[in-house]
Amino acid sequence: MNYDRPELLDRLAAEYVLGTLRGRARRRFEQLLMTLPAARVSVDEWNSRLARLAEPVPAIVPPPRVWAAIAARTSARTAARSADAARETARQSRWATFWKPAFGFAFGVALTVGLVQIHPSGLVSLDDLANESQALPQSYVGLLTDRNNQPTLLVSSTRQGTRVTVKFLRPVATPAGKVIQVWALPREGAPFPLGVATSASPPGSTTFDMSGSSDKLLATVPRLAVSFEDAPAGARSTPGEFVLVGFCVKLW
Amino acid sequence: MAAAPEWSEQSRELQAQLVRVGLGDRAAFQRVYQMTSAHLFGVALRILNRRDIAEDVLQDAFVAVWHQAGSYQAAAGQPMTWLITVVRNKSLDVLRSAAVRRETALPQDEDGNALDLADDRPDPLGLLEQASDALGIRRCMDALDAAHRQCLALAYYHGMSHSEVAEHIAAPLGTVKAWVRRGLDRLKRCMAQA
Repeated sequence: MNYDRPELLDRLAAEYVLGTLRGRARRRFEQLLMTLPAARVSVDEWNSRLARLAEPVPAIVPPPRVWAAIAARTSARTAARSADAARETARQSRWATFWKPAFGFAFGVALTVGLVQIHPSGLVSLDDLANESQALPQSYVGLLTDRNNQPTLLVSSTRQGTRVTVKFLRPVATPAGKVIQVWALPREGAPFPLGVATSASPPGSTTFDMSGSSDKLLATVPRLAVSFEDAPAGARSTPGEFVLVGFCVKLW
Repeated sequence: MAAAPEWSEQSRELQAQLVRVGLGDRAAFQRVYQMTSAHLFGVALRILNRRDIAEDVLQDAFVAVWHQAGSYQAAAGQPMTWLITVVRNKSLDVLRSAAVRRETALPQDEDGNALDLADDRPDPLGLLEQASDALGIRRCMDALDAAHRQCLALAYYHGMSHSEVAEHIAAPLGTVKAWVRRGLDRLKRCMAQA
């Protein structure tokens, strides 16, 4: 089949979405979807068009047992071990949200601790030394990596302090007009913003102040992330796509 | 990516909730269910015509939403579009599976002829007309023969294959394929002009 003709591709996309493309032809098209961006665009457009046809379909409230079953199958206790989660996680294309560190939690922690020991001076700025309360050893540390698992930012703060130090291990190419927004990803609930980091060239550091102390804000936060936002995020903001993600460990 | 400026209030809220679902927020997940499950159940039931199977499909669909919400991107389309797509695709997969075909096969008399059981789902052509009205493309769509529109409607709302449509309206398979294609072309053209 010649996929070069755009009208043929569009027709296949339409029939794929409608559901009349089946069997071997459907499987071939699904493979094409994974490799040809134009096919994906076509399918997205047809999804939008045909979904509008569903609007007048009468709503019918499902019985409570349906939600009960859904809740049971997605509960935090079973999710980690269920086959569902394994299947679905394997299909994640958006890596940052179901981020899996290259070598697991233990390595992530070890790497973080190791870097702290190699670069102790990088974690405490001269300004901090002048301010005694901030001159304590850093307690909360996060090593944020990029899509390719390259360590990019070392984020740290003291327990009682409100100041966060961000050390640039690699340059962060910030899009024009955007800010580097650092987020805390708590164990339960939605991410909340910590603050905006000014960019620096490696191995430089910049700092920002949080609205509360690290112990108050980061005690139940296992992960940190960075997204590029148009403006500093407010308490109720939802993050854009994460470009850097990492563990937040409490060293002491 | 942020919601587009022309999205409705509901769409924006759904998108915000889905982002939270993608990060494991269970309250947001329940909110998405409250906002959308009735409509999605209606869509599934219309295709499957069996309550028990439709309930299973709805369940599977929402479990998939829980695990895949992180990969839904606003750039690909509105949140309800994505949810409808998930439910429709699962419904069609189930409908086509041999097991369901066996279970829902029409009963037969002693000569092996299929007993004629009335399908109690209302004619989908009416739904297509309603949708066209809502989209402001009724006149444009009505320029197409009712028979052509009915093929599209049967395929969309009842999830029928080309062969099933052909059998349902007693028309040749080749004709039905051409009519479905014409219906899709017209829909695209009408929506582009609206």
